[in-house]
Amino acid sequence: MSFGVDRSIDLRHDAEPMTVVSHRPSPIAWLIAPAVLLFVLFFVLPFGVMAVMSVYSGNPVTNPNAFLTTRHYERFIFDTAGIFHDSLWATLRIGLVTTVVSLLIGYPLAHWMARMQSRLGHALALMAVIAPLLTGIVVRTFAWMTILQDKGVINTTLIGLGLIQKPLPLMYNEFGTVVALVHIYVPFMVLTLIGVIGRIDERLEQAARSLGAGRLRAFVEVTLPLSLPGILAGSLLVFALAISAYVTPSLMGGTDVLTLPMLIAQQVGTSFNPNFAGALGVILLAVCLVIVIAYNRILAQLSGEQLA
Amino acid sequence: MSAAPKRRPFDAGSAAYLALNLLLVAFLLAPIAIVVVFALNPTPYISFPPVGVSLRWFQKFFAGSDFMNALALSLWVALCVLVLSVVIGGACALALARGRLPGRTFLTAFFMSPLMLPAILTGLALFQSYLLAGIGRPVWGLIMAHTLVAVPYVLRTTLAVLHNFDHRIEEAAAALGASPTRVFFEVTLPLIRPGVFAGGVFAFIVSFDQFPVSLFLVMPKNETLPVVLFNYMKFDLDGAIAAASMVSILLALSVVLALERLIGLKAYVKL
Repeated sequence: MSFGVDRSIDLRHDAEPMTVVSHRPSPIAWLIAPAVLLFVLFFVLPFGVMAVMSVYSGNPVTNPNAFLTTRHYERFIFDTAGIFHDSLWATLRIGLVTTVVSLLIGYPLAHWMARMQSRLGHALALMAVIAPLLTGIVVRTFAWMTILQDKGVINTTLIGLGLIQKPLPLMYNEFGTVVALVHIYVPFMVLTLIGVIGRIDERLEQAARSLGAGRLRAFVEVTLPLSLPGILAGSLLVFALAISAYVTPSLMGGTDVLTLPMLIAQQVGTSFNPNFAGALGVILLAVCLVIVIAYNRILAQLSGEQLA
Repeated sequence: MSAAPKRRPFDAGSAAYLALNLLLVAFLLAPIAIVVVFALNPTPYISFPPVGVSLRWFQKFFAGSDFMNALALSLWVALCVLVLSVVIGGACALALARGRLPGRTFLTAFFMSPLMLPAILTGLALFQSYLLAGIGRPVWGLIMAHTLVAVPYVLRTTLAVLHNFDHRIEEAAAALGASPTRVFFEVTLPLIRPGVFAGGVFAFIVSFDQFPVSLFLVMPKNETLPVVLFNYMKFDLDGAIAAASMVSILLALSVVLALERLIGLKAYVKL
């Protein structure tokens, strides 16, 4: 990264490259103020409020009897109704399967695009990846509902061809949820991987091949290991996105699927228990933060290597 | 571009590789194509194969007052978000790139973080804050929430442009006697304009398609289009949804083309 480095015409800059004096913030730095204000008021503070709500029995502002309690967390941990642990499990399981499938689909696509010689081909493929990304989640989930439902594209076609008698259960279960989630999040995998694979010197693979390795072996032993950080970063990103999905599991999952975000929406919408919703939110946030920090570490290392 | 491009001889391996990737591209695009088919298919329920072409679903969509109110609200919110996030995000990008701020890496990561945290939690946190503050669920609250998640996009596109252009242009202007203000308005600003515009386009679409952040922040009877569509889809799957989806897809398509023209899609291949 080189942006932000001081390059003003300042002789001292060359004479004393390590001094902090020549790096004093310029007046332009004040332009950050509106963003700071927005983020403090509508991001940092609200997440603080969410954490506070999660340890109160009610609304601490309007209800004078509201008291500090850990009961929302206890409710989740002891799980007497037997649904919260299942829901956490289902969330992580769906996230994991979505990530693995996205990687299997995203990697060949990213590799193909990173190595593509034709500029037009590259631009077209990139549009194909970005166009779904810019279509709303609700719209893309709707598309998958029309494809996978009992009277949807796949089942009608198969019945029409006489291959099956009864429609296959493609929707209102985890299968349908994962299919739609993969479609929604695979562009993130591809975009992360193209950058990483593109940075790998193609001549390394060519060298391996001229030394007698087959194409597959050159890929497995040279390109694949070098793209490992990208694989990890892309997977973490997709996992973090998939476990926080709400629209897709609630439309595609039917009564079969109950994920943590769905549970949160239930607590706000039908049970009107914003305090318990806060506790669930803190739990989901904790999981996501761990993943996001790992993701940032990997990317920071990647750009560090690039500089070296 | 290093050596001269080497044309590989045709073989089964390459053909299979190409076929696989074309299949994957089809997987990405097929659902979008299918929405178009259903939007034009006149049957009362989603049915396949299509039997004809009609515009009845577009009529139903554009005649339905629920849909139109939602569309109007969504467009209004997205427009406000565009303006706010371009001003706030553009200024923030300049400060980060030119302000010589300490801890730039951390600050950049911080301002990008709404993209990384679950959007539904951002919605929940804001819902609880508005609840505690006792302000209900005003439209401006929704606009601020969308702005928060749109700013990172403006930041990314603007930083990408600032990162790419040559500092020496600004230095040359300064060396020729232009005041810092003049350098800013006559050199820096015109140069970053495509990045800021692209970010604004992105911000608009992010807000227009936003669901998870809106979910807890909209008032019943005054919901944005994605929320109305979501509630409708829980009970009914007909062509009206497909028509509404087409409107959104056409919007997205024009955005992709606009982005390609403004700064080139390549700016997005780095996260």
